[in-house]
Amino acid sequence: MRMRRPVSTLAWQVLICVAVLSIWQWGYGLHGSFPWLVPDLLDPYFVSKPSEIFGQFLILGCFKSKLGAFNGWFNGDFARCMARTENNLWIATAVTLKNTFFGFLAGVSSGFAAGLVLGRSDRLSAIFQPFITAVNSIPRIALAPIIVLAFGIGDMSKVVTSWIVVVFLVFFNTFEGARSIDEGFVNVARLLGASEWQITRTVVIPSTMAWVFASLSPAISFALIGVIVGEFIGAERGIGRLIIESEARAEASGMMVAVIVLMLVGVALSALIWRLQAYLLRWQQHNMVE
Amino acid sequence: MQPLANITPIKPAARAGAVQLGGVGLVYKTSGQDVVAVSDVSIEVKPGRFAVLVGPSGCGKSSLLMMMAGLRHQTSGAISINGAPIEVPDPDRVGVVFQEPSLFPWLTAEENVEFPLTLRGVSKQERRAKAEEALQLVGLDGFGKRHPHELSGGMKQRVSIARGLVQDPPVLLMDEPFAALDEQTRMTMGDELLRIWAATGKTIVFVTHSLTEAVYLADEVIVMSARPGRIVDRLEVALPRPRTFEMLSGDAFGSLRDRIWRHIRKSA
Ligand SMILES: Nc1ncnc2c1ncn2[C@@H]1O[C@H](COP(=O)(O)OP(=O)(O)O)[C@@H](O)[C@H]1O
Ligand SMILES: [Mg+2]
Repeated sequence: MRMRRPVSTLAWQVLICVAVLSIWQWGYGLHGSFPWLVPDLLDPYFVSKPSEIFGQFLILGCFKSKLGAFNGWFNGDFARCMARTENNLWIATAVTLKNTFFGFLAGVSSGFAAGLVLGRSDRLSAIFQPFITAVNSIPRIALAPIIVLAFGIGDMSKVVTSWIVVVFLVFFNTFEGARSIDEGFVNVARLLGASEWQITRTVVIPSTMAWVFASLSPAISFALIGVIVGEFIGAERGIGRLIIESEARAEASGMMVAVIVLMLVGVALSALIWRLQAYLLRWQQHNMVE
Repeated sequence: MQPLANITPIKPAARAGAVQLGGVGLVYKTSGQDVVAVSDVSIEVKPGRFAVLVGPSGCGKSSLLMMMAGLRHQTSGAISINGAPIEVPDPDRVGVVFQEPSLFPWLTAEENVEFPLTLRGVSKQERRAKAEEALQLVGLDGFGKRHPHELSGGMKQRVSIARGLVQDPPVLLMDEPFAALDEQTRMTMGDELLRIWAATGKTIVFVTHSLTEAVYLADEVIVMSARPGRIVDRLEVALPRPRTFEMLSGDAFGSLRDRIWRHIRKSA
C-alpha cells in the first residue's frame, strides 16, 4: 500500500537534514566562543565538513584535479585521470561492488543448498549440529586476517571473507524454512505422484523462499561489511582501501566520501532485494479475507 | 455439458471404476497403545456410483480414504480399484479432494490444476488445454491466472476438484470437501458436484458428517460405527435424480436421514 506522505512529515525531514548539514558545516566555528556548547568531535579534522567532502568527492571522482581545475571530458583530462589513479572512486566502487556480489552469490547459494539438505534430513542435521553451533559461535570477522593471509591481497580474499559472513545467515534461515514446511503440501504432492526430488523442487523450495528472502536483506549488508573489512586488512583497490589511504593521510574528507558512497551502495542493494522479493513472492501478498 | 473433448479420447467404459475393499483393517502403531482405527471393512462400489461414507468423528473415515488413495497401507485385507490392488498413490486411477483445498499458494489456479500433469512431464500445451477444460468443468472459466489467495473458499475447493479430475481418473475420493464452507456455498457446491458427476460419470466415494448432505448426494450411504470403525449399515437412496431442494423436506428423505441418525447415535 502506497500512501502519500503528509507534507508535515516531509517538511520535518528536510528541516532535520538542513539542520544536521548546517551544524556539520558551520558548527565548529562557534567552538572558540562557546566551547561548552560545541563538542570537540565536531572538529573538521575528525569529521570534515560538507563543503570539503564535496570537494574531495570531485577530486576522487576525477571531476577535478588536485589543483582545483575541472577535468574536461572532451579534452581527455577525465580519461587521463581515470588511467593514472588506480584507486579512484569509480574503480574502488566497481571493485567493492563486484566482490560483494560474488561473495553474496557464493554465500547465498551454498547457504541455501546446505540449509535445504540439512533441513530435510533429520539424520544429517543431527550429525552436523554441534559443528555448526561451534563454527557459528566464532565472530566471522575474526577470520578475515587469516583469509587475507591465505588468499592474498587480491579480490579472492574479499570474496571469501564476504562468503563466510553471509553463508551462515542464509543457511540458518533456509534450514528453519525447510523445517517448518507444511507437511500437508508434501503429502498432497506425493499423492499427486511426485517423487522425492520433485517434492523438493515443487514444494520444499517454494515454501522455503519466504524464509530465504528474510535473510537476503541482512545478507547483502553483511556481504558488503565482509568485503570492506577484507580491504582494510590488505587490498590494492576498493572503497575499504580508499578509507585506509585517506586515514593514512589524515584526510577526514576522503573517508567521509567513501562512507557516503557505501551508504548509497547499501541503500541501492537493499532496494534491489526488496524489488526481487516483492516480485518472486507476489503470491504471498494481500491475503484475501474470507 | 460437453464431454472432455480434444483431450486424450476416453472410452466410456474406462471413465468409471469399481472400488472394492475386502476385510480391510488398519492399526496405527503409536508410542503408547496401538490404535485400531478401522476393522474388517468390506465395501463394494460399482462403477459410476456415488457412495457416501458417514460415521461419528474419529471412526476412521479419513484413514479409509487414505488407504484407498494409496497414501497409507492397510494392516489387513485388500483394496482394489478398477480391478487392480492399489499400493502407492496412482493419480491415473484415483483423484483425491481434501477438506482443505490444499492448493499450493505459490502457483496460480491453472498451475495448480496442471500440477499432476507437470509431474509427469506432459507438454505445456497439452497441460494448458487439459487444465482449461477441467476449470471449465468446475465453473471457473477465466479464473486460471489467479493465485489461491485471490479466490474464495468455494472457488478454491473447485480448483481442488479440477485438480483431482485433470488426469481423468475413473475414481474420485473426497474427504469432507465442503465441511469448511458456509451453508449456502455448501449447498451450491453439492449441486455443482452432482452436475460434474453427471457430466463425467466417475465413481465417487465421498466422506461427510452432514447427514443431509449424505442423503442429498448419494446413490448409497455407508454408515460406520465409532472406533474401531466398522460398517453398520448400507442404504440405497432411491430418490430420483436430479435431486432438488424440495426433496429435503420430503418424507422419503426424512426417513433415510433418521435411519442413519439412529445408527450414529447408538454407536457414539
Ligand atoms: N497418524 C495417526 N497415528 C495414530 N492414530 C491416528 C493417526 N491418524 C488417525 N488416528 C486415529 O485413528 C482414528 C481414526 O481417525 P480418522 O481416520 O481421521 O477418523 P475420521 O476421519 O473418521 O474422523 C482416530 O481415533 C484417530 O485418533
Ligand atoms: Mg476425517
